[in-house]
Amino acid sequence: MIVQEGMSIQKKLEILSDAAKYDVACTSSGVDRGGNKSGMGNSLACGICHTFSADGRCISLLKILFTNECIFDCKYCINRSSNDVVRASFTPKEVCELTMEFYRRNYIEGLFLSSGIMISPNHTMELIYITLRMLREVYNFNGYIHCKAIPGADQALIEAIGWYADRMSVNLELPTAESLKELAPHKKRKHILKPMRQIQLRRESNMEYLGINNKYILKEDNSYVSQANLALDYIQNDNDIGEVMTERGLTSFNQQSRPKGSKYVPAGQSTQMIIGATKETDYHIMSVSEVLYSKFDLKRVFYSAFVNVNHDNDLPSTINGAPLLREHRLYQADWLLRFYGFKIKELLDEENPNFNVLMDPKCNWALRHLDLFPVEINKADYYTLLRVPGIGVHSARRIIAARKSAILDFKDLKAMRIVLKRAVYFITCKGKMMYPIKIDEDFITRELLASNEKLPHGVEKDITFKQLSLFDGGLM
Amino acid sequence: MNKVKIFLCENSMDGIFTAIYQAWSSGYGHANVKIEEKSEKNNYSNFELFSDYIYVETDFDKAIKVAKSIKSKISMDVYEMVCRVALSNYQGKGDLIYRFLILGFHVGSSIINHLSNETVNKVFKLSRYVNNEVHHFLGFVRFSEHNNNILISTIHPKNNVLSLIVPHFADRLPLEKFAIIDGNRNICALHLPEKSWILVDAPDAKSIISDYDINKYDEYQDLWKNFFDSIAIEARINPKLQRNNIPLRFRDDMPEFLNSSNNPILP
Repeated sequence: MIVQEGMSIQKKLEILSDAAKYDVACTSSGVDRGGNKSGMGNSLACGICHTFSADGRCISLLKILFTNECIFDCKYCINRSSNDVVRASFTPKEVCELTMEFYRRNYIEGLFLSSGIMISPNHTMELIYITLRMLREVYNFNGYIHCKAIPGADQALIEAIGWYADRMSVNLELPTAESLKELAPHKKRKHILKPMRQIQLRRESNMEYLGINNKYILKEDNSYVSQANLALDYIQNDNDIGEVMTERGLTSFNQQSRPKGSKYVPAGQSTQMIIGATKETDYHIMSVSEVLYSKFDLKRVFYSAFVNVNHDNDLPSTINGAPLLREHRLYQADWLLRFYGFKIKELLDEENPNFNVLMDPKCNWALRHLDLFPVEINKADYYTLLRVPGIGVHSARRIIAARKSAILDFKDLKAMRIVLKRAVYFITCKGKMMYPIKIDEDFITRELLASNEKLPHGVEKDITFKQLSLFDGGLM
Repeated sequence: MNKVKIFLCENSMDGIFTAIYQAWSSGYGHANVKIEEKSEKNNYSNFELFSDYIYVETDFDKAIKVAKSIKSKISMDVYEMVCRVALSNYQGKGDLIYRFLILGFHVGSSIINHLSNETVNKVFKLSRYVNNEVHHFLGFVRFSEHNNNILISTIHPKNNVLSLIVPHFADRLPLEKFAIIDGNRNICALHLPEKSWILVDAPDAKSIISDYDINKYDEYQDLWKNFFDSIAIEARINPKLQRNNIPLRFRDDMPEFLNSSNNPILP
């Protein structure tokens, strides 16, 4: 391990931001907090993007590792102990000053502090705790802080740190315990789920203490994820989740220990999974997400297309680019779970465990349920509107508002900037479709595929619709 | 046929509100009046034939009366929407607001739901357009530090959004001395610790800033550039997505995009 003494702050920042870049989450959302007169900073629930890096991703927080020294040897990670890279560590004061000075200049919305594991999980977690506490209490920083909970750290440390952070996250890394064992031999799935559960319970009890009705908030945020019809049976043999859910061994919680006026992890927690490094199907990945949303009250699950940075032989090559389209489909499905009232079982099953690369998950669902369409724009309820391909949350709300005062026609929808490209096959206005359309799966599929879905820049569908087979046709 | 009476007013919220007051109370009838604001850039107006021009002198009392009745008789939401439209760069916004308010005073606060109405729809879109720019600038404003710890930022917004973004920074940086300059309109917002912020005309602000720039070098700009470069994942470099998210027009005022290798790669 190369450790350099007396490194400049410039060099440290370069190394430790470079080392942090594979973490996906950079959101600053979830908390509305006005400024206080004695310090610096406020926070907006919608989050603010401050700039976009060359890969097009939003930069909202100062995303750095506290140190990239690490005793773990995870195969996918650039900072694994067996890698020969330059190592560096910040001091708590350096992190505070960087955060404050960047924040003053409006470069960032706050701090995202993650870390390699130096000496032990507890030692690392303690350093993070000291840093956050200094930032809040000495530097009077009132902006957004996101920090990692290090798996395997002591309960008491997780407990203490939650009062200073707005959001905490523990990375699940891989969807199953087997994959984790294979690629991250030092990490145990139980050690990842445990702090997640702890933070969830602490948040709930803190909200109860403050008289905030948690059940309501839960419903507002992660909306329509109800208990019924979850893909629970699919991951039933996942012992870790079951065990952690039923665990009762948490130490008692002292509400008085909290610093004045602070809330426990008010923006909730998030996690991330690496996509495409292991053999899990989309169905498996999304089932895990569904459980995390419904049972662990997570605010976000992030999916990170695998990049083989270590050129490790045990891992798939990503020479032809990371699996960005798959990542995109997973995010689309994630949105369907959180805001559209879908259950993962409606989108995928064991026979079709992966998303259709050619078509977004909602279109794909709609084509298999043509019996439910077309729906009448002037009558359908909110959730029915949301199920129409091409109609999102904003469009649905606008339709509901507008139809209070007028009976809507297609020209009104156009004027309201509701995109009809896909919706046109699934809706009627005043009982009529826009064009005479045959409600036929093959016909609509062809039309939808021809209408070129808008994908994020850089994500490409370089696949043809159907591979022609020598044996198709005649023989059957 | 009656000649149309055109109320020509200053291009500002108060100017437009004064004109609305005068046009409304003139008794000519809504169909026979029109409000026109002067161009933002040079106070110029393109005169129409066969119409009478009435020059409106901005009167704060009248403007406040209009604002008050919008707030009390329609709603605060509608008032905010109208303000945003009045600060937009849309030509003809004065008359648009007038037509919108006729409907608004008739229908009440639910007017914002009448999206299938052309006027309401236009107001809604403009308000959202201005709001989007405001939200962009909450993130894209860049301060640099100068003598006496003064923070200075220059922006070049399309709409006149300065007064809409400053409250955010005044709340966020209560103990700082800062100035934000709108380089397109030569106006400047000033904030001092524990005082409320003010908006001033600053025709020579640009030259003052360039003097300042020579005097002090902000080392954190280098650190920031450094961070900005190293946080990108090489395997996912994607200039198109970047340009989609942060259009080129913002970048001249942002240090991370200036004079280095990360300048946009144009296709």
